[in-house]
Amino acid sequence: MTDAAVPPPGTPHEVLAGLGELTRRVRAAQRGAWFPLLLLGVLTLGGILVSRLTHEVRTVPCPVSDPMVGDGCTLVSQGSPFYWPIGIALAYTATAYFYLRRSRERGVGTPVRPYIVTGIALVALVAATAAWSLRHGMPQPREAFDLWGLHLDPAAGTTRFVERLIGSAAAVGVPLLVLSWVERSPALLLLTGVYLAVELVPLSTGWSGIAPSSPWSGVPLYGVPGLLLLLGALGFGLAERSRRRDPS
Amino acid sequence: MTEQPDPHPVTGLDDVVHQRVRLGILTVAHQARRVEFGFLRTALALTAGNLSQHLTVLEKAGLVEVEKGYEGRRARTWLSLTPAGDRALRDEVTQLKRLIQQIEQASSQEDA
Repeated sequence: MTDAAVPPPGTPHEVLAGLGELTRRVRAAQRGAWFPLLLLGVLTLGGILVSRLTHEVRTVPCPVSDPMVGDGCTLVSQGSPFYWPIGIALAYTATAYFYLRRSRERGVGTPVRPYIVTGIALVALVAATAAWSLRHGMPQPREAFDLWGLHLDPAAGTTRFVERLIGSAAAVGVPLLVLSWVERSPALLLLTGVYLAVELVPLSTGWSGIAPSSPWSGVPLYGVPGLLLLLGALGFGLAERSRRRDPS
Repeated sequence: MTEQPDPHPVTGLDDVVHQRVRLGILTVAHQARRVEFGFLRTALALTAGNLSQHLTVLEKAGLVEVEKGYEGRRARTWLSLTPAGDRALRDEVTQLKRLIQQIEQASSQEDA
């Protein structure tokens, strides 16, 4: 707990400055972004293991329009339709519990509800979208991407952007934007901006030396955002610890 | 018909709210949404008796709601702003900002 003391008597300017200082100290007592960042970072890194364990290579008939008809096409699939929705929903539930417990311990209410509500709603939306597009099984090579009845060209840049958007960017990144707003944290806003850029900008994973069809292709895919979230958790955790040691 | 000048912002200040401890309580309660007695006492560096007196004034004025309960065996008192308290705090801050503006305008006119 911190000592802010009542606003000093003086000019209106000094009174307002004192109120601003009180508000800042209450916000500091309410913040706890390190916890959701830690959970989401661990969950994202766990995606590497899940993609390794679910990696599957199959030979399927090529689409009629394909010039390689007759030879068969290789279909690489990996990832579990249950890991992300269930994992992220559990992370939001644990985060809600963490903030509520902290609120009781510290004696200040928590503004975290918009973050949790946004997170759960977007996880549900992302899971429903994935379930819709996979309702007829795994899409075949070069098959149109079915987004709620819209059949999008899988080779188009906008389709690939939409696919990235309705993944972790929506289920993790957008709620983090809400958290940075409710916690009035420019540092968290910056971290979220970098996270969204990593998730949305089509970066090549060739630098890792791991082929996209490799069982370990999840390493560059989930390693970068996962480590970013964990580094953020470490930074916010250390900042909070030093604030509690030195409240002034 | 003569034009009435705008009332000075000082006339818009509410004595119940403007008192600096009570203004501090309302500010903390506004940001915290719900705040526990112990947090307020430490944050505002007050004694329990002094804080209780100010809370009674605010509660009687309908600006805060006090909720008493137990957590385990420990008695705890939580308070939150009422809609009237929220409005009163916003009005107070508005009047203070108007005062600052008037003071700055007056001093810039003197300088000119």
